[in-house]
Amino acid sequence: MAAVTLSNVVKRFGVYEIIHGANIDIADGEFVVFVGPSGCGKSTLLRMVAGLEDISGGEIAIGGKVMNDVEAAERGIAMVFQSYALYPHMTVEQNLSFGLRMNGNPKADTERRVKRAAEILCIDELMQRRPKQLSGGQRQRVAIGRAIVREPQVFLFDEPLSNLDAELRVQMRVEISRLHKELGVTMIYVTHDQTEAMTLADRIVVLKAGNVEQIGAPLDLYDDPANRFVAGFIGSPKMNFLAAKVVEAGNGSATVELVNHASARLKKSLQTTPPAVGADVVLGVRPEHFFDAGQGDCDIAVKADVAEHLGSVSYVYADAGDTELIIEREASRQRASGDHLVVSIKAGKALLFDTKGARIR
Amino acid sequence: MRHQNATAYRFLAPYLLIFSVFWVWPIISSFLISFQATRTVPWRWAPTFNWGRLIGDPAFFNALKNTLLILVIQVPVMISLAIVMAVLLNSPLLKARGLYRFAFFAPVVVGEVAYSAVFRLMFNLNFGIINKLLNSVGLPSIDWFSNVTPAMALIMIAVTWRWAGYNAIILLAGLQSIPDDVYEAATLDRVSKVKQFFYITLPLLKPIIVFCAVLSIIGTMQLFTEPFLITERGGPGGGTETLGLLLYRQGFRSLNFGYASAVAYTMAGLAIAITLVQLWLTKEPK
Ligand SMILES: Nc1ncnc2c1ncn2[C@@H]1O[C@H](COP(=O)(O)OP(=O)(O)O)[C@@H](O)[C@H]1O
Ligand SMILES: [Mg+2]
Repeated sequence: MAAVTLSNVVKRFGVYEIIHGANIDIADGEFVVFVGPSGCGKSTLLRMVAGLEDISGGEIAIGGKVMNDVEAAERGIAMVFQSYALYPHMTVEQNLSFGLRMNGNPKADTERRVKRAAEILCIDELMQRRPKQLSGGQRQRVAIGRAIVREPQVFLFDEPLSNLDAELRVQMRVEISRLHKELGVTMIYVTHDQTEAMTLADRIVVLKAGNVEQIGAPLDLYDDPANRFVAGFIGSPKMNFLAAKVVEAGNGSATVELVNHASARLKKSLQTTPPAVGADVVLGVRPEHFFDAGQGDCDIAVKADVAEHLGSVSYVYADAGDTELIIEREASRQRASGDHLVVSIKAGKALLFDTKGARIR
Repeated sequence: MRHQNATAYRFLAPYLLIFSVFWVWPIISSFLISFQATRTVPWRWAPTFNWGRLIGDPAFFNALKNTLLILVIQVPVMISLAIVMAVLLNSPLLKARGLYRFAFFAPVVVGEVAYSAVFRLMFNLNFGIINKLLNSVGLPSIDWFSNVTPAMALIMIAVTWRWAGYNAIILLAGLQSIPDDVYEAATLDRVSKVKQFFYITLPLLKPIIVFCAVLSIIGTMQLFTEPFLITERGGPGGGTETLGLLLYRQGFRSLNFGYASAVAYTMAGLAIAITLVQLWLTKEPK
């Protein structure tokens, strides 16, 4: 087991800088998820920790030891690949034991480790099969098993569930969570799926275009995002963003008016100097933070386009002038298409961003 | 449906006709000819005439021995060489990959006569570059064309030069179909590059290697050009005569088509038998 520290890590492919100085501290035994849209550099970052990519700048330490010049094989990590990367010509048992056998590990110990991994993952039945004869979920288990057998200090996962169907994904998610509790080992997990990040992580690292946008516990990111990107990325359905203008700036507070709802004004108390009167701002409201008319601090009228009834909640997609809003309604089962709807926003539940996307607290 | 099939066959008819006349019929015909005495006019049905001669003909056994000797030495050497070439060609460190790919493939395209002439020059006793090179490192010149062992070696070198690159290109395609992340997984499993080659690359490449071996065996069984052109009709003194040359000598020099057909069927039978054994030996365990 080991802590992992990334300090000012930079990655360049030729002239292109892909990672622009990442600082991430991962505690021993922690489950950290790197999340971000496709192409933001999650895999690259993970592969640098693994030693599969060179580090162009900065330092990566595992267990307090700088790993920049240490071979991948010697870093004490194990990785689960998106495509599983099983050895196609070997049985499951051979897949699990290959690394140990090649390194002259005592036979009895190899057998013990393989048996334990097989038990943890419930793949005892599959030991004599080849990868071709396994389903996607089973292959994923074998890939995880191969990592467990190594008894690594750190587990790395690169989008391990993205090739599975929705149901299996939920099931494997729970299993990976359980595995983490059982082994208590540091795990770094990469995904573009914020639901996976929210459900698995002790802490989430949100990445965008090679920059770390925010690091924090799932609910901290949800409640208190550092910027508009994190606010929009974390949470499902997405946070709504409404254009607004500052109409009054007092001491420790600002009043904003929604651009497309002339009478809708909201007074937000702020800890920092409020923006100047007339400045454009963006108001962020989560779907579940729309209340019934009159229950909040200001009401807005919208026209419902489509409603998705999921049983316990419904999502109403509504036209609010310039943007489409997603509004969560509890226990509302009537059809809403074409309905005019008045919803209410509470100042305490709305977030304020400047036009560059930075949070105004 | 039946109607559609009939139409399809009508379109295929011209091809099938030509295929039958110029492909199927000669195969059957030559089989029948192998049971006839063809040096009398008219040809006479004599089932044991050619085949009986074959079993006792020292020239046949000499050609068979030469062919098999070339086969068992040249094919494994060439395939091994082709694997090494393919691995090098696949290395990310290699620059100008396209150039190498062309260079590897070029020998196949070069005309047989031109290539043979160049080999004869290169291995010439007095002014060939090979002997010059041998001399320059203090070794004596070798008379490649007058002694059986060097002549056989020369044939094998020439065939290997001509076909190793071709096989390397086929093997390269196989190499490229092995995903990178399998090797990455092995690297993280602390498996060395050399072990990765023997425990991952070779087993995964096996079907392609077998394919190349089968192609090469069939090719070498029919070996003709090199002993005909380079060592001058199987010289010295039949020392490099192959089954292909024997067939040619019997069929087109002595006009003994019956015996030539028997030799041809022996060659085909051997190629099939060796290939089947090969496929059986390398069968995937189910
Ligand atoms: N070997 C490479 N050479 C050049 N660019 C690369 C290479 N690998 C990845 N990239 C680039 O780096 C960026 C991040 O890639 P990646 O880490 O795979 O993203 P993610 O895993 O977040 O989807 C992408 O823009 C990608 O095009
Ligand atoms: Mg990726």
